[in-house]
Amino acid sequence: MTLPPSAATPLLELQGISKTFGSVQAVRDLSLSVEEGEFVTVVGPSGCGKSTLFNMVAGLDEPDPGGILRFKGRGCHAHELLGRVSFMPQRDLLLPWRNVVDNAILANEIEGANRAEARAKALRMLPEFGLTGFEKQYPHQLSGGMRQRVALMRTFLFERDLMLLDEPFGALDALTRTLMQRWLLDVWQRHRRTILFITHDVDEAIFLGDRVLVMSARPGHVKHARRVDLPRPRAAELVTSPEFTALKREILEAIEEESMKSFVASNGAVAA
Amino acid sequence: MNRGALRGALGVALLLILWEGLARGLALPSYTLPSVSEILLSAWTTRQALLTAAWFTLAEALAGYAIGCVVGIGIALLLSLLPPVRRGVMPVMMAINSVPVAAWSPLLLLWLGVGMASKIAAVALAVGFTVFLSALAGLDRVDRRAADLMRSFGAGPLSILWRLRLPTALPLIAAGMRVSTVRSLIVAIVTEMLGAYGGLGWIIYQAVVQIDFVAVWSAILVASALSLAFFGLVGVIERRVIFWRSS
Repeated sequence: MTLPPSAATPLLELQGISKTFGSVQAVRDLSLSVEEGEFVTVVGPSGCGKSTLFNMVAGLDEPDPGGILRFKGRGCHAHELLGRVSFMPQRDLLLPWRNVVDNAILANEIEGANRAEARAKALRMLPEFGLTGFEKQYPHQLSGGMRQRVALMRTFLFERDLMLLDEPFGALDALTRTLMQRWLLDVWQRHRRTILFITHDVDEAIFLGDRVLVMSARPGHVKHARRVDLPRPRAAELVTSPEFTALKREILEAIEEESMKSFVASNGAVAA
Repeated sequence: MNRGALRGALGVALLLILWEGLARGLALPSYTLPSVSEILLSAWTTRQALLTAAWFTLAEALAGYAIGCVVGIGIALLLSLLPPVRRGVMPVMMAINSVPVAAWSPLLLLWLGVGMASKIAAVALAVGFTVFLSALAGLDRVDRRAADLMRSFGAGPLSILWRLRLPTALPLIAAGMRVSTVRSLIVAIVTEMLGAYGGLGWIIYQAVVQIDFVAVWSAILVASALSLAFFGLVGVIERRVIFWRSS
């Protein structure tokens, strides 16, 4: 269920983690680990506890007692991770009263960085994020794709060893999404951060990831872990290659089964 | 915007013409309803006294307004940081607020004298509560996901208050402050009518005693001009500060 053993200590390690909200168990006995510099994608049916997983790793929610959470080889409480991972939630959550640059440096400002220096750094990053000339614009003046790039820039500027991206492209149209995926890989290859990436799009998960984790229906756990051996840099044509298709079939099968379960669970019964 | 102002002016002009026509056509006695021209003429001849009184009232209203805004927002910030204190204090606040300011005025006159202090206190009380309640409502309106995001960046409660909750609350705070402009002048004038050495309320009171209703109307004219100007000014500032709400 988990990963092949590796010599190096993983950056993040979860073992037997559960999380219960009232009478609902969102996550049960979840185990996973993420190596340094790895791009791991997580797919699963809706409501499978993906966001719960992220909230715990971001330090926002404490898991139920009993599991093991290790960051950089050291066991810790979830709240100790606050300020130590850079988290990007589904919605861009840009602050409407801040312009592009000031939104991008929000996290740096919170950790007490010099504002002028942070701004200068953000300005240098603008071209890479396709935001040249937009530094003085406010969120309501930007398109959805641009807002998302500002949010990503905010996440990148908060230089932490682990980045958590929760369906960052979920709200974008299909064309913009594929462009953003290639762009993200490009940026990632240059910055070499460790990324844990949630999506419900199997193509996206395979195209981006070194490894794809398939989560089960609720209560969620990692049902299937699959290494993606496709060469990098990955080009757009890759998605039509036989290797890609074979991987996709395998992962889709695993998800389908889980989607069915959660569908039945949420509908009480299913018509034959 | 400009068109709206034009229409507003047109409406006021029409009302004044109708008023003038009614007062003259029905030959109403001036203690019932003096004509507009009569009021304007009286206002012009007594302009010296009216302007002095207007400054007096405006000074009280502005001082009370400033104190009320600062204290109201300050208490709201404090209580939103300390939920247990808030639960204890809120019933007391609501009890004080449920008493109309006019009922406090005699007491304030008794405690603080007939001078400006009692008017400033009455205005501060009225404005303070309005702004306090709108600020508290605004501070409660925060997006939890945005607060969570900031927590994940390592932000503490103060940082979240300053960078997220206060800016989120600004539109509601500003609305409370805008409504309070008119209230501040009303409360200053009403308190003056109960006892004062000067001001528009004092002029109104004196004129009523002397059965000089044209003078009452000219004081009302000046008071409503002041109110409108104050209201408009705060509205303009509001649109400048909270730029992200427009468009």
